[in-house]
Amino acid sequence: MKTLNWLLTGALAFAIFSACSNPPPPETDPAPKAKKSAIRVQEGMSKEDSLAAAERARLEAERLAAEKLEADRARLEEMINRLMSDDVYFEFDRFELTEKAKELLAQVGDMLKAEERFVVTVEGHTDARGTEDYNMTLGGKRAMKVKEFLVAYGISSDRMETVSYGKEKPKVEGASEDAYSQNRRANFRVKIK
Amino acid sequence: MMRRVFLFFLSFCFFFSPVFSAIDTIAVDVGISVFKTMPLGVVPFAEKSGKIEWGEAPPHQILESDANLSGRFEVISSPKFDLVTFSRARAKFYVTGSAELLANGKVKLSCYLYASQTKQLVFGENYEIAVQNVREAMHLFFDQVVFELWGERGVASTKLAWVRKIDGVKQVIYADYDGYRRRQATNDSALSMMPVWALGNNKLIFVSFRNEKPQLHVKDLDTKRVRRIYTEHKQSFSPAVNPISGEILFSVIRDGKTDLYLGDAEGKKSRRISYLKSSQTSPAWSPRATEILFTSDRGGGPQIYVMGRDGSDVRRVTFMGRYNEKAAWSPTGDRIVYTSMDNGKMNIYTCAFDGSDIVQLTSNAGNNEHPTWSPDGNLIAFASDRSGTYQIYIMRRDGSNVTQITKQGENTSPTWSWYDSPPPTSKKEGKK
Repeated sequence: MKTLNWLLTGALAFAIFSACSNPPPPETDPAPKAKKSAIRVQEGMSKEDSLAAAERARLEAERLAAEKLEADRARLEEMINRLMSDDVYFEFDRFELTEKAKELLAQVGDMLKAEERFVVTVEGHTDARGTEDYNMTLGGKRAMKVKEFLVAYGISSDRMETVSYGKEKPKVEGASEDAYSQNRRANFRVKIK
Repeated sequence: MMRRVFLFFLSFCFFFSPVFSAIDTIAVDVGISVFKTMPLGVVPFAEKSGKIEWGEAPPHQILESDANLSGRFEVISSPKFDLVTFSRARAKFYVTGSAELLANGKVKLSCYLYASQTKQLVFGENYEIAVQNVREAMHLFFDQVVFELWGERGVASTKLAWVRKIDGVKQVIYADYDGYRRRQATNDSALSMMPVWALGNNKLIFVSFRNEKPQLHVKDLDTKRVRRIYTEHKQSFSPAVNPISGEILFSVIRDGKTDLYLGDAEGKKSRRISYLKSSQTSPAWSPRATEILFTSDRGGGPQIYVMGRDGSDVRRVTFMGRYNEKAAWSPTGDRIVYTSMDNGKMNIYTCAFDGSDIVQLTSNAGNNEHPTWSPDGNLIAFASDRSGTYQIYIMRRDGSNVTQITKQGENTSPTWSWYDSPPPTSKKEGKK
C-alpha cells in the first residue's frame, strides 16, 4: 500500500509537472530571438542580412515549436500506449473488479485527469469458454464495471464509451488457463478530442 | 472365491468403463437411438449415352448421402436391382434412375422410386439440368421420396449458414445443408457472427463489428446489399426470427446491461420486452411464436427461462448445472435443445418444454455447442471441436448418427434455414 501511495504521488507529481512545465516554452523562447534581430536592424545591418536573420529566427521559432509539438506528441503517445496496455483482468464468469484491477484503474484515472483531451472506449472481453451470446453480455458487464469505477474516480462519463467484444477478440490464442486468464479482461482504446 | 471374483468384476467395471461412470454423475439419459429407420435400396443410375463426368459424386451417391443424413433411412446399396439383397434387408422400396447426356450439353435425369417386391413404380420425376446442378436436383428428388414414404417434408433442399474463419477473420457463409455449394455472405475486414435466416431464406441477419461495435445487419442474398438494422441501438446482437411473422427478437447492451427487444421484420422499429434486473440474451421462439425462450443470469450463471411473447409469465426451465445457454425450440414443439457447460466442457442436451426429461446428446467428444434444429425437427446441426478444430456436424435429435459436414478451417455457429417453398403436394404420376 505504501508503494502504491508513492506510485500515486509520483504519478500525480509527474502529471502536475508535465501539465505546468510544458506550455511556457513557446511564449518565452522565440520572443528574445525576435528582439535580438530587431536590435540588429537598428544597428544598421544591411537589408539582406536583416532579412536572413529574420528568416533564421523564423526557422528557429518553427523548429522550437515543432520540437515542442514533437515532445508533446511523444508524451501523449507514451500515455496512450500506457493506457492501451493497461488491461484489467477478471475471474471466470465474474465482472467484479479485483483489488489489483482497482489499483490499476486508479492510475488510469490519474492519467485521464492529467490529459483532459483523452476520450476512451472501454472494451470488455471474455475467455473462449461458453457461448458467443452469453459472453457478449459478460463483456458488456465488465466494460461497464470499469466505466463505473472511473466515473466514481471523477472522470466524466461523457469521455468514456463501453463496448463488448464477447469472446471474439482474444489477446492470446489457445485453450490453456494461462490464455483464458489473459483474455478475461477490459482494455482501453484512446482517442484525442 | 465367488466374492473375490465379484470384487474383481466390480473393479473391472470401475476401471474399464470411465465413460459410463462419468455420465452417471450427471444422472441423465444418454442418446441411445430410438429412431426407427426405414431400409431403402439404392441402385446406380443407368447411363444411356455412355460415361458422364459427374464431378463430386454420381447421382445415386448424392441420394445415399441424403438418405444417411436424413436420419430416416438405412441405405442398402446394390450395384443393380437385386430382390434377394433388398428382401433380406427388408428394403421395401428402392430408388434408381437413368441419365442421358443431351445434345445441348445438359443432362436428362429420370429418377424413380420403386416398390422392391413388385417393381411397381411409386413415383418418378424428370430433370433436364446442367451437370453442376445435379446435386440440387437430387436433393429435390430425395425430398419427394421422403414425402412419398413418410408423408413428411424432408430437409435435403434446405440450407445452413454459419461462421467460418477466412484469413483470420470470421465471415458468414452459407451452403446446402450437407455443406456443399458454399457461398460467402460477408467479406469484411471486421468480424461477422451470429447469422440467422430471414423468412423466405433470401436474407441473412447477422452481427457485424464493422463500426467497432456489435451491430445487427441484414444481407440480401439476391441483391448482395448489406444494411444496418435497428440503428437506434449502439450494441445489438443475438437475433432470432419469428417463424410466423418474421419479426426479430434480439439483445441490446445498454449501460452494461443486456435486454431483449422485439423489432419489426424490416429492421426499423423495436421495443424493449424484458424488464428484469438481470441480463437477458439468446432469445428463441416457440414454433407458433406464442412463447419465447431466453437466457438470464438472474440466478448468477446463465439459465434458460421461458415467457409469453409479451414478456409475461416468466418461468425457469433449466435447474441442473450452473451454465445452460442458447436454447432452441424444436419445430415439432415437444423438445428444447440447449448447451450446458460441465467441468469447462460444453455439451448439448434436450429437455421437454417444462424442463423435465433431460437427455444428454453429446459427451466425451470435445466441446459441442450452438445447436440448431432442422425444419422437420428430426436433426440438429452443431459445432464441435472434437477433431481438434471447430467443425459443423449434424446428428439426429436423439444424438445418434453424428455426421461431419465441414472438414477444413474453423467453422462455428450453424443456423438451419426455413423450408424454401410451401409443402409439396403428393404427386402420384406413374402409379396406377
